Amino acid sequence: MPERRVSRPRAVGTDQEARADADNASRPAVGRTGTVRVRLAMTTLLAPRSADTPVQSTLDRGPRRTRRPDAPPRPRISVALHHVSKVYPNGRRALSEVDLVIPEGDFVFLVGPSGAGKSTLIKLLVRDEVPTHGEVFVAGHELSRATGRSIPRLRRQIGIVFQDFRLLPRKTVRENVGFALEVTGTPRGRIGPAVDRVLALVGLTGQADQRPSQLSGGELQRTAIARAMIHDPKLIIADEPTGNLDPLISWEIIQLLLRINEMGTTVLMATHNAEVVTALRKRVVALEDGRIVRDEVGGYHRDY
Amino acid sequence: MIHFLAFSFRRAVEGLWRNRVMSLAATVTMILTLVLLASLVILLSGMQAGLAYIEGKVEIRAELHDGVPQARVEILRSQLEALPEVASVDFVSKEQALADFRAQLTADGREDVSQYVGSNPLPAQLVVKLTDPKEFGSVRTTLEAPAGVVERVVEQQRNVDRLISITSLLRTVGLIIVALVGITVLLIVVNTIRMAVMSRADEIEIMRLVGATDAFVRWPFIFEGLLVGLIGALVTLGLLSLASAPIGQLANAIAGQAPVGFSRQLGSQVAGVVLAAGLGLGGLGAWISVRAYLRR
Repeated sequence: MPERRVSRPRAVGTDQEARADADNASRPAVGRTGTVRVRLAMTTLLAPRSADTPVQSTLDRGPRRTRRPDAPPRPRISVALHHVSKVYPNGRRALSEVDLVIPEGDFVFLVGPSGAGKSTLIKLLVRDEVPTHGEVFVAGHELSRATGRSIPRLRRQIGIVFQDFRLLPRKTVRENVGFALEVTGTPRGRIGPAVDRVLALVGLTGQADQRPSQLSGGELQRTAIARAMIHDPKLIIADEPTGNLDPLISWEIIQLLLRINEMGTTVLMATHNAEVVTALRKRVVALEDGRIVRDEVGGYHRDY
Repeated sequence: MIHFLAFSFRRAVEGLWRNRVMSLAATVTMILTLVLLASLVILLSGMQAGLAYIEGKVEIRAELHDGVPQARVEILRSQLEALPEVASVDFVSKEQALADFRAQLTADGREDVSQYVGSNPLPAQLVVKLTDPKEFGSVRTTLEAPAGVVERVVEQQRNVDRLISITSLLRTVGLIIVALVGITVLLIVVNTIRMAVMSRADEIEIMRLVGATDAFVRWPFIFEGLLVGLIGALVTLGLLSLASAPIGQLANAIAGQAPVGFSRQLGSQVAGVVLAAGLGLGGLGAWISVRAYLRR
């Protein structure tokens, strides 16, 4: 897995990154030694975490790698929230002072009772909402500063999967997946092969010409995952992807997300599925009343 | 860019077909508006041409007393020519007037009645042409100032005034009607596109999530409005070209020899106005709708 990450093409080169760092002192960056150099309060955020958390272990991997002194800093941070608060216009406080760092390649569960702020957090990450205070970084971009044309480009780096699939009933599986390319200006000739590739990835090659009404729940969600993967995103956000599925099918979907994660894509999955969370021993971030109350490996702990 | 245009066009056609009842209502209203507009343009330009023809003929004739010395006539003539509103002054002698009268009778194919009169009954005349037919200012007072020269001043001004006021009334009423129908068609287009936007709410949501730019979200709807306008304009022009021959005959019958007919130039002007109005109304309606309903 680390090798794969090393070979991944980088969106931002060393020079640009250095310049960006100079421009923006509050931007979280990763030092050459492999320790996270997060300015302002980011260091305190990382301090209480136990040594075997995914973040720390990923960081520890850094120095062990043989690297030229001028090599670009690794690992990259996929998602970072810095003192993020969100108060909706109606006065409801959805998030309070949230700090969160997700390195690239992580698999993170986001748990918490309904109304804890999970949906708001996801909306902030796809810039459906902007934070009232604080900063949200995704793939190296500060989202509230993104404007106009750069927002759609940012969204292409994020794949989103929902509980209710959100497929278009009139379109076939192939058309539903291809739609994401079509509406982002991809030439028609290039859509077909790309769709075939992601359909093979999720195992739906045989169902390519069926409509959503002909598919099972698991197939619907795999279609949605294929659509989320079509832009080759760095980050997949799954909002309760197994909420409408029975346990066996849920496991299939989780296996698929794990496989996608193993190929180097960061996965953030909001879920109520205690069984899955407990069994997988991945990093679990728990939200309650808009605050992160727990951030550790494994365990669901509570009945939400 | 080509992908974008092809995508927008495909989506627009698909959208029109999906809401075909509403699209048909919008297109029919568009045709009604454009037919009204074209009729107004044709009618007004016909009347304008007629008016220009008649106005070109507007002159003030002053019939002179018999036996006025030529010197006094010349003085009056030079006074008239000095006025800014006068374009030209012609003197027509008694003999010339008689000759003109006879020529006119011959041309009309009527009997020369003047041969039964022993002497020449026609007065000598001063014919004053005006630079602007509506401005005859002090011409009349100048003509009547010297005693014993001018017997009678003959004007056609009142007829011209009446024609001008009819034309301007027609223009005002016509523009109000076209504006009202235009606003109606605009609202219908706005509503049609609004329904198209709503019927695609799920697609728009997905487009935004997968990173489609605003242009990809908005322009198909604007294309849809433009298509309603274009189809409306083409149907209107088809109807007009079918109707142009009978209308031309009718106009000729009414206007007589006045050059009111349909020139090729008027035809292309009407086509331009109809196309521009159709595309403008369709595009504007769609734009208003998309702005109102896709605001983030």
